[in-house]
Amino acid sequence: MFLMKKTVEQLQDSAIIPIGTYWQLVRRRFLKHRLALLGLIFLVIVTAFSLLGPLFIKTTYDEFDLSSIFAPPFSKNHLFGTDELGRDVLVRVMYGGRISLFVGFVSSLITTAIGLLVGLISGYFGGIVDRLLMRFVDVMLSIPLFPILLILTMVFGSGLTNTIMVLSVFGWMGVSRLVRGVVLSIRENEYIMAARVLGTSKLKVLFKHILPNAMPITIVSMTLNLSYAILSESSLSYLGLGIQPPTPSWGNMLQRSMNYILSTGHSNTVPWWLVFFPGFMIFITVLSVNFLGDGLRDALDPKFVSEA
Amino acid sequence: MKRYLIFRLIELIPIFFLISLIIYFVLNAMPGDPLLTSRLENPRALVKDPAKIAELRKYYHLDDPLIVRYGFWLASFIKGDLGFSSMYKQPVLKIILKRLPNTLTLTVTAWLIGLIVAFPIGIYSAVKKYSFFDYFFTVLAFVGISLPTFWFALMAIIVFSVILGWFPISGVQTYGITGSWNIFVDKLKHLTLPALVLGLVQVAYWVRYIRTSLLEVLDQDYIRTAYSKGAQERRVILKHALRNAMIPIITIIALDIPYFFGGALIVETVFSWPGMGRLMYEAVLASDYNLAVNCLMFIAVITLLSNLLADILYAVVDPRIRLGAKAV
Repeated sequence: MFLMKKTVEQLQDSAIIPIGTYWQLVRRRFLKHRLALLGLIFLVIVTAFSLLGPLFIKTTYDEFDLSSIFAPPFSKNHLFGTDELGRDVLVRVMYGGRISLFVGFVSSLITTAIGLLVGLISGYFGGIVDRLLMRFVDVMLSIPLFPILLILTMVFGSGLTNTIMVLSVFGWMGVSRLVRGVVLSIRENEYIMAARVLGTSKLKVLFKHILPNAMPITIVSMTLNLSYAILSESSLSYLGLGIQPPTPSWGNMLQRSMNYILSTGHSNTVPWWLVFFPGFMIFITVLSVNFLGDGLRDALDPKFVSEA
Repeated sequence: MKRYLIFRLIELIPIFFLISLIIYFVLNAMPGDPLLTSRLENPRALVKDPAKIAELRKYYHLDDPLIVRYGFWLASFIKGDLGFSSMYKQPVLKIILKRLPNTLTLTVTAWLIGLIVAFPIGIYSAVKKYSFFDYFFTVLAFVGISLPTFWFALMAIIVFSVILGWFPISGVQTYGITGSWNIFVDKLKHLTLPALVLGLVQVAYWVRYIRTSLLEVLDQDYIRTAYSKGAQERRVILKHALRNAMIPIITIIALDIPYFFGGALIVETVFSWPGMGRLMYEAVLASDYNLAVNCLMFIAVITLLSNLLADILYAVVDPRIRLGAKAV
């Protein structure tokens, strides 16, 4: 927790901001960031909506009712309307949220963990290990991401686990670069030297003294990965290569919606709600995560902007 | 400058090899025998004679180690022999070259739209820092970054094509239209919506870059000097500040070219635009491995070339690199 002391000292020097522990300061800075707070609140609401929502509604996501297909929003029993099989869009959005959020959280956890590990190793051990790893990262980064994701789904197949795997394989490079940068700048500090001189083992120095300093940037990168994972999963699922129906995800709910919109376009009302609601959920979730990430960046370390 | 360019070009070669190696190995992680899969797909090609099978295996180097097969594959890629597409029953190169112009039309138009929209907003946001305008576009940039491209495209079709009827729903052109002017107008109508969607998605990123790098320059001493000499604000910003701020901006904008191909993949699919992205998507759906991988290789090469372009432009706008002639 050296970062903590350093920050507090700096703040004491400037004597403008009231003094507290590192996390107290983080919380204070975060709460001041209105958009980030809004993002956090929305994210909690969306998660609660997806996890708890289905408990209050009797129908399930695959229960169809052919007597009321394409019911518009705000109609009886169907707040978000119904789809081509008369399935309730609201319920499907809730279940879809469970899947989309699950894929997002799990794959962002995996990518962040891999990135953190690679970054720590690369930055701390340096030399040939560092050069090899970073070259590899360079090459991986210069492969266009979305096209390679398509190829990976073709190779590994679609479905829940495969989607998570595909998103994880090519998602960790950004984090590893950022973490490596932080480790490189921390490594040369006197207290690291002091710890070494005292005979602390390499691993202990790495996990006790360096890791805590790399945590802020890791947390921020994780929010970036989360928004990216949710967007990628939904794009893949929309294209029919991610989560497979009948399991709904926010992406695959849009899959065939366009056919119905084009076919009913001239005679009846356009069933825009098939497209609007699932897409809007993706949008609002990703937006919240991005605001949250921005707020965390400012709150965890004001110097990030110049360091990253 | 010349030395710098040559150095950069040479540097691309090992990276190209590594990228193709990764792509090839990823593809070969796939379970199953390629010969068997192709036979299952096309029962007429079923070969029962063991001698014939052995001959085919030898012909396709299927019994050689992976790295040797990679060598053969890469050699024929460089020679321009991309093999056959199982879906189209045509040489892959021919199909790709037929689709490439459509993608280029779409991406270049989108890129230009992005630039035209992003520059005024970015500059104005930096000059009027923390104004309402600046905050408004900061939030809008977040909105742009968070928009799923396919949803944005679908909503645009619903609103502007289906409900308002301003633009055609999909495709490149309507058949049966005569007269070169009419054809041009028709094509333009088809292009507008996909290009706008693809371009506007990128604006959000660019506005932030332009704003940030211009703000950094506006803090410099020589800007204060220019002001104190009595130069007009317009002149200071456009002549003194923007020129220096352009260095990072140009790099970002050139480096973003590959993102357009990723975005184009989705936009082309939604708008049924017969470009490379849609081609690759169709190939993936039809499990046409050869076509899909070659599309990816093409996009990877374009990515590398745009990295090179970014380096060249960087050297052009920044005399320190050009005259130093030393690669950083």
